[in-house]
Amino acid sequence: MRYDSVTDIIGDTPLVRIDEAVHGLRHIDLYAKMELYNPFGSVKDRAAWNMVRHRLADAADRGDTVVELSSGNTAKALAVIAGMHGLAFRSVTNRMRIPEVKDLLLLLGAQIDELPGRSECLDPADTDDPLTRMYHTVSAAGGGYLHTDQYFNDLNVQAHLRGTGPEIIADLGGRAPDYFIACVGTAGSSTGVARALRRHDPNVTVVGLVAGKSDFIPGIRDIDEVHEVGLFDPQVYDTIEAVSSDEAIDGLLTLVRRCGTLAGPTGGGAYQGAVRYLRGVDAELTERRTAVFIVCDRVESYLSYLRERRPELFRQPARAHSVRTLTGDELAAARTVDVAGAREWIEQEQPLIVDLRSPFAYRALHLDGSVNIVDDLFEEMLRGGLPFSRRRPVLLVCPVGEKSARYAALLTRMGHPDARSLSGGVIAWRDAGAELVRD
Amino acid sequence: MAPSLQPRVDGDLRSILDSHDTLHRMVDTLGSPLNLVLPDRLAGNVRDFETTLRAYDLGGTVYFAHKANRSSALVRALATTGAGIDVASLGELQHALGAGLGPARIMATGPKSREFLWLAARTGVTVGADSVPELAELAGMVAAHGLPRVRVMARLSGFASTGTTVLSRASRFGVPVSDLDPLWAVLDEHRDQLDFHGAAYHLDTNGLPEKAAALEGCLEAMAEAQRRGLSPRAIDVGGGFGVNYLADSREWEAWTTELTGAVLGQRPPITWDGHGYGLRNEGGRLRGVLAVYPAYRAVAGPAYLDRLLATASTAHRRPLGSLVLDNLYDLHLEPGRALLDQCGAVLTRVEEVRDGLVRVAANSNDVALEAHGVLMDPILVPRGEPRPDDGPVGVHLAGNLCLEADLITRRRVPLPRPPRAGDLLVFANTAGYLMDFSAGSALMQPTARTVAAWRHGGDWRWCLDERYWPVTGREETG
Ligand SMILES: Cc1ncc(COP(=O)(O)O)c(C=O)c1O
Ligand SMILES: Cc1ncc(COP(=O)(O)O)c(C=O)c1O
Repeated sequence: MRYDSVTDIIGDTPLVRIDEAVHGLRHIDLYAKMELYNPFGSVKDRAAWNMVRHRLADAADRGDTVVELSSGNTAKALAVIAGMHGLAFRSVTNRMRIPEVKDLLLLLGAQIDELPGRSECLDPADTDDPLTRMYHTVSAAGGGYLHTDQYFNDLNVQAHLRGTGPEIIADLGGRAPDYFIACVGTAGSSTGVARALRRHDPNVTVVGLVAGKSDFIPGIRDIDEVHEVGLFDPQVYDTIEAVSSDEAIDGLLTLVRRCGTLAGPTGGGAYQGAVRYLRGVDAELTERRTAVFIVCDRVESYLSYLRERRPELFRQPARAHSVRTLTGDELAAARTVDVAGAREWIEQEQPLIVDLRSPFAYRALHLDGSVNIVDDLFEEMLRGGLPFSRRRPVLLVCPVGEKSARYAALLTRMGHPDARSLSGGVIAWRDAGAELVRD
Repeated sequence: MAPSLQPRVDGDLRSILDSHDTLHRMVDTLGSPLNLVLPDRLAGNVRDFETTLRAYDLGGTVYFAHKANRSSALVRALATTGAGIDVASLGELQHALGAGLGPARIMATGPKSREFLWLAARTGVTVGADSVPELAELAGMVAAHGLPRVRVMARLSGFASTGTTVLSRASRFGVPVSDLDPLWAVLDEHRDQLDFHGAAYHLDTNGLPEKAAALEGCLEAMAEAQRRGLSPRAIDVGGGFGVNYLADSREWEAWTTELTGAVLGQRPPITWDGHGYGLRNEGGRLRGVLAVYPAYRAVAGPAYLDRLLATASTAHRRPLGSLVLDNLYDLHLEPGRALLDQCGAVLTRVEEVRDGLVRVAANSNDVALEAHGVLMDPILVPRGEPRPDDGPVGVHLAGNLCLEADLITRRRVPLPRPPRAGDLLVFANTAGYLMDFSAGSALMQPTARTVAAWRHGGDWRWCLDERYWPVTGREETG
């Protein structure tokens, strides 16, 4: 396969059957529409490309900035496309909640603007909503912006009406599936596909999935938020159901571990929501039926999201030499030395002084002659064994003498004969009027 | 029925609000509206904030933002704790001094009159300055009157963020961090008058990333101060820790969904005249933003402080709390609303019930739910026995002013049974800003008196706010 431009790869994604042994539906063939195969990684590549392709030349002439309200896949696709055409891209969002996506956008050269939170001392008469103001700025003609406006732009729907939907019909041998299940973000993909399928067969059942309120599945909206979406038309869906982040992760694990499909949370949510809905239908069926759900994007961007919600999935081997494994006895036995004692000891034996505070704080003020190894790093170093000779005494210091006592106990356990902690820490040192220096 | 938003009420507040006879006796004696405050709870809230600070090994003082409530009892009770007070006017400063808080425990913030500044300097309280000209004026006054050197903190604003651009509402207060040179100049010029204690911020937002950016900005400013030979000791992170007003998150979610439905015309209105609280229906689409306080908050008060301190600095990849400690700084805070959580209630008497409209002897300045966008139900404290056929009702609540707009809340609120004249409607957990922040005496209607109540064995004792001292009525405890 040869292409002249990476944007030519957008679309024409595979439709893959899910093994019955996995989903357990007896009368339904369940297929995944693999939108994660798009070149920038998600279903949003289609919408992004369709919303800008005909406007890029003019925008490049004027030097406009591409702008979109997005904290995820649309931003990612637009950032890539803008970059390919020499345009700047700016993403405006309430919160960048997925750190991997944020870092990727920065890597792609995007500017990210996060809107302010709610006022704590609310003035209900204040109609100056930052989002509305932003919207007016970027939408004004001649304002220097190419605003793609994904929540209101019909080209978002068209991308799927012309592409995703007909592809599904073609891959099913010219038939529309009986059921179509999709998560709703801008509603672009579900609306476009539903229209295409219904043109072919008006009896298709369409299930829209949204997040529960106060829950969070990156990329989709909750039941109230969908009403703010310009493209959202309740008539498109036979039913709208909520799917929880827990279910989405369960579905993701099934797809990732059993189906060879490295789906992100909304793919998992669509799978789980589909199986939940279809199980009820399946029980009543006597003939075979077909169902399709969308796998929107890939799992890799969501590792921290998953780690936060299911830490047990990321079991780490027990660490050698960790302060977390110290016993109460070991802690109680840690050697400490007070400020006066420490000054004398330093004078007489010149122990190695290790300051466990951040480099930022160390730079500002520290004990003369100390070296700075911030605690996280020190812990890493100790994993490999003692990083200095047993013959050299060590004085550990931290702000209040608490962390340093733990590390003194750990060094002792590791066989160091004379590791002491400065009791009361650098604060006690300062308050005793002992000298602190900056270099 | 009107969907309910039951207030979160616990501990002593729950217990006194269950003492119906006590509440009726108070209102019979002192009239409606009546403010009730629980000074002992304030002390408990101070401890909770201090516990969070200590969990990070941080030193520092919790300064109660006085502006949130005028009560003397609360301030006098505060004097018995380890907390300080943040005063924002000459009157508040005098009040704090008179309540027994020494100058070392007082921080003067906000826009300052000359008189306020003078008394602050004369008594030796810490001055949280909003601007460079304010510092210059203060220094001039100190020099002219031969006053002792004044401890000052500088409020900063316009913090930049790293990585993403965290947008923040513009603030009228504070020295912009983009140009601190004038600040260093004034501190340098007036070394003999001004003792620089550290950097401060207060952001009117519940957005954690904005506050994290501000705290990080203060750390940078402090480092710069040290490079310039100053020895700042503390960062003041202001207030805005928030309160969770509701007992059940599901009620909040359900109510906001119902409001959305009502605005879109999918269900009958749940507010007066279909008021949308900022939401509008434009051609079947929902537009606007819900302009109310997020009444249910999973993370508020000390837990919010904990989140802030646990947030990693983007520049130094280390929790902000650890960075403050590493630098040996104290961390001061100025919570108002959050320190008054569960510290009081406004009691109102039902005057008239007519056609689903309940009129109480109070107005929307006395119970400022609407002005602050806080949505929660009142608690019905009946006077007599229920009638056998009494069942739940939804009502609107009107105030005692002859203004169409004088509604205590625009929500229709559910009550367990129809109220009758003489019953009380109690607005719980209103001590922070919702009680006397904006109370006046429109139409010469009575302004609320305030009573302070405390536990005495299994009973409640109470007295007029101005009569309350931490020792009164507790002679037996020495
Ligand atoms: C990961 C993910 N899943 C699902 C969707 C929903 O797609 P649509 O916006 O077409 O409704 C989005 C859209 O932003 C998304 O980013
Ligand atoms: C400088 C300052 N500090 C503290 C506060 C108290 O804020 P809150 O009651 O939200 O904690 C305010 C409130 O306006 C303020 O302006």
